[in-house]
Amino acid sequence: MQQRFLKPSVLAAISGLELVAKTVVDGFVAGLHRSPDFGFSQEFAEYQAYTPGDDLRHIDWNVFARTERMYLKRYRGETNSPLTILLDASNSMQFTSHGVSKMDYARYLSASLFYLALHGQRDAAGIITFDDEIRNYIRPSTRQGQLHRLLAALEQAEARARTDFAKPARYFQEFLKRRGIVLIVSDFWESPQSIVATLEPLRLNGNEVVLFHVLDPEDVRPSLDGPSILVDLETNEQLETTPDFAKKEYRAKVDAHIADLRDRAKAAGLGYCLLITDRPLDDALREYLTLRGGRN
Amino acid sequence: MGLFAPWFLAALAGLGLPFYLHLLKRQTARPKQVSSLMLYESRTQASTRHRKLRYFLLLSLRLAVLLLLIVAFANPFVNRNAATFTSNRLVLVIVDNSFSMRAGTRLADAKQAALGVLAGRGAARGQVAAFGSQLQFLTQAIEDQAALRAAVESIQPGDGHGNFGELARAVRALSASVRTPIELHLFSDMQRSALAGNFTDMALPANVQFVPHAVATKAQPNWTVESVEAPGQVWGKDAKPVHVRAVIAGFNTPAAQRIASLVVNGKTTATKPVAVPANGRAAVDFPALEVPYGFNRCEVKIYSADAFPADDLHHFAVERSDPQKTLLIHNYGDSRSPLYIGAALSAAAQSAFLLESINANEAADRTPSNYAFIILSDLNTVPALLENSLTGYVRSGGSLFIAAGISAGARLQIPIFGARIAETRDYSRVPDRFMTVGSSDSSFPAVAKAEGWPGVKFFYALAVDPGDARVIVRLSDQTPVLLEKRIGEGRVVLFTSGLDNLTNDFPLNPAFVPFIEQTARYLSGSERQGGARVVDAYLELRNAREQGQGVEVTDPEGKRPLTLKEAASAQSIQLSEAGYYQLRLANGRQNLVGVNPDPKESNLDVIPADVMALWQGKSNSGTQEASAPGAAHARTTPESLWWYVMLLVFAAAVAESVLASRYLGTQREES
Repeated sequence: MQQRFLKPSVLAAISGLELVAKTVVDGFVAGLHRSPDFGFSQEFAEYQAYTPGDDLRHIDWNVFARTERMYLKRYRGETNSPLTILLDASNSMQFTSHGVSKMDYARYLSASLFYLALHGQRDAAGIITFDDEIRNYIRPSTRQGQLHRLLAALEQAEARARTDFAKPARYFQEFLKRRGIVLIVSDFWESPQSIVATLEPLRLNGNEVVLFHVLDPEDVRPSLDGPSILVDLETNEQLETTPDFAKKEYRAKVDAHIADLRDRAKAAGLGYCLLITDRPLDDALREYLTLRGGRN
Repeated sequence: MGLFAPWFLAALAGLGLPFYLHLLKRQTARPKQVSSLMLYESRTQASTRHRKLRYFLLLSLRLAVLLLLIVAFANPFVNRNAATFTSNRLVLVIVDNSFSMRAGTRLADAKQAALGVLAGRGAARGQVAAFGSQLQFLTQAIEDQAALRAAVESIQPGDGHGNFGELARAVRALSASVRTPIELHLFSDMQRSALAGNFTDMALPANVQFVPHAVATKAQPNWTVESVEAPGQVWGKDAKPVHVRAVIAGFNTPAAQRIASLVVNGKTTATKPVAVPANGRAAVDFPALEVPYGFNRCEVKIYSADAFPADDLHHFAVERSDPQKTLLIHNYGDSRSPLYIGAALSAAAQSAFLLESINANEAADRTPSNYAFIILSDLNTVPALLENSLTGYVRSGGSLFIAAGISAGARLQIPIFGARIAETRDYSRVPDRFMTVGSSDSSFPAVAKAEGWPGVKFFYALAVDPGDARVIVRLSDQTPVLLEKRIGEGRVVLFTSGLDNLTNDFPLNPAFVPFIEQTARYLSGSERQGGARVVDAYLELRNAREQGQGVEVTDPEGKRPLTLKEAASAQSIQLSEAGYYQLRLANGRQNLVGVNPDPKESNLDVIPADVMALWQGKSNSGTQEASAPGAAHARTTPESLWWYVMLLVFAAAVAESVLASRYLGTQREES
């Protein structure tokens, strides 16, 4: 059977984020023709009776020719919403167990979404990279060369320091004055309660907020050969644990953590998408768009 | 149960190694990076559950291998009660039949005592042996008392010289092969002279119970003809009278006068009284031994009137024959060599050789086989015809003496002898202007008789490559000066200097005459003729290359001891009986040899009681009393378990290999 999805390890072999994004999105868009469920903006929604003062450009003249009544044609999703990606560039994002780190995966995902937004929908796109502070900010724009700027920002986003949503979240509001789509890409190694509490205000501004929870397979299902000393990538703290714990208790705890985050996010009206880095990227993209489709 | 080498148990400390590999090593925690420790909790290996040993069976096997190996090195043994072997006990009856047992009724007494011991053994397993110069088993280990008794009764007096060291060696060999307790009964006169030179040679194994039965308890006086000095050969009709000297010895004897007689072919030709001092020796001379042509059986007898008449005579053989012809081939104009060699040969005690001197040009028409041996002196060039005929002569059994002299220095190699000439050494140019003898092989008779050529000055010699030749004499600078080589069936002796008083002063040295005489005897083979030998000595019958030529040996009893096959192939014969051996050797020569018992057998002194007790102590024996048949002995014998432990080590090692490879295979799959 032909390989339908693109493995992250294959994407890692492609040099240049633009080419990665183009590979992912083009293949993905080609698949849309067979998937009428997908797509957003410029979709017909309803007719509305013309009232004086309405823009004549929106009158459906075909209907007028048949019925001699003037109706305005209304579209769904003609949002032209700016897309802003908040990329977590903390140390924990550089963890990998199979060649593609969470940071790489986040880069591929972000690049693909930028490509989709700027080339597919002519939407404005911007990025904020952060760890415990705001590291980089590129205002959402549709200007020429915006894609290259964004991709350069992705390239420069080095994993360092530790994640702290609370600190940079204060500044998010300042940057996100215009309503749009806000995607937060992170491994979310914090308590779900504080994450949701920190990010919920973004939603209240009218933004559509989606959490991309990027995790390595080892984050979810760690395997230890024997008693091991574990080193935290962000804090360098050490802790000795046993294979038994990793195999049983930890798995239960991480499952609970994910479920808790998902539930709290949904409860707060935030979108949630779990991405394991061995999962094909276009598959992840598909899930995201399905998520948005369901929302609209 | 015990350990022969318990100090190897110190290696038990090494057992910690498998534990380290299986337990401690597994406990090592390896640092591993994770995204976050948020959900992790600290856990350590629980004492019982996590510290369990990996691969417990493998660990057990490894411990077993190490433990067994250490135990094997410690060499465990179990003490097995010898009583359990009583039914397997071998009663070894050894009767001494050496020459000294002919004294009085010693042998008969010994046999009688042996029969008495056998009668008391009941159904015990027994083996009978006679012990002369060697241990001779007369039966297998059997329970047939009649056969054992018959074997004892069949023991005849021998002429050999007993040696208890040889007896102990044979018993040790027997003990190693039968591996059962042995009750050794030795019936002997316990002669002191039969003790081994080294007392440890007489040690008996632990499983041998030694019960000596002495048939003589104290030394007996005995006179004997200890030795006779007489030539083996007399040459010519008008040879000078032969002088015979006999030594009469007395052991534990008072001073006494004895009558010594010289007997030739059964006729007493001379009788002389000899005063033998107390416990001493006296020589008696017979100045004129007249013997007819051919081989003559001679003996010196004394009338000792002691209990051991068998040693009162000494056999020797004398052959009278015509002098042998010897050819000297020298350079034309060389008159010195014939002079010195001829003078030396005629000055010898017996005029055994007639020297014929010719120069090389005259040698063509001579037949080499007519001569006992041939001397080549200082030959510039040896005609090819002469070289060929001399080579053939040597190969067929002839002997050659080559004196290289000065002329040979121009050649590349010594003719016939074949040694390459490396260089010439002119010692007149060294500071001392001469070179003396550095080392000599005294086993060569000509050198031994000449006492190593002391004071002989060499001014010139050839340095030759000895190759496979035997170097008999070397000069101080290690130049070989006298060499011997066997070519075919013959011998060639090479003297790398000359016989002309120019290259050395040897012809003027007193050592020259005995050297020439003995060399002549050696090369002509006459030194092996006639004379006397000692019982158990070996007599050479043929050279190695004379295979196929039959020899004929007639022993003192007139029997032929060699089978036809032995007669065709035997290199030598052991002279086992006293008397006269008549031989026809492979080279066609006849010979008659007088054989006498070892003079040590005439000393009837017995082993002191303390030495005897020491010997018994060495063999772990507590008493001289013969034990009752089938009686239980409290003595225990340690039996080593080393072999069984090593078998277990092997089995455990194989199991460990199989198991370890299985586990390793699993690990590979896991990785």
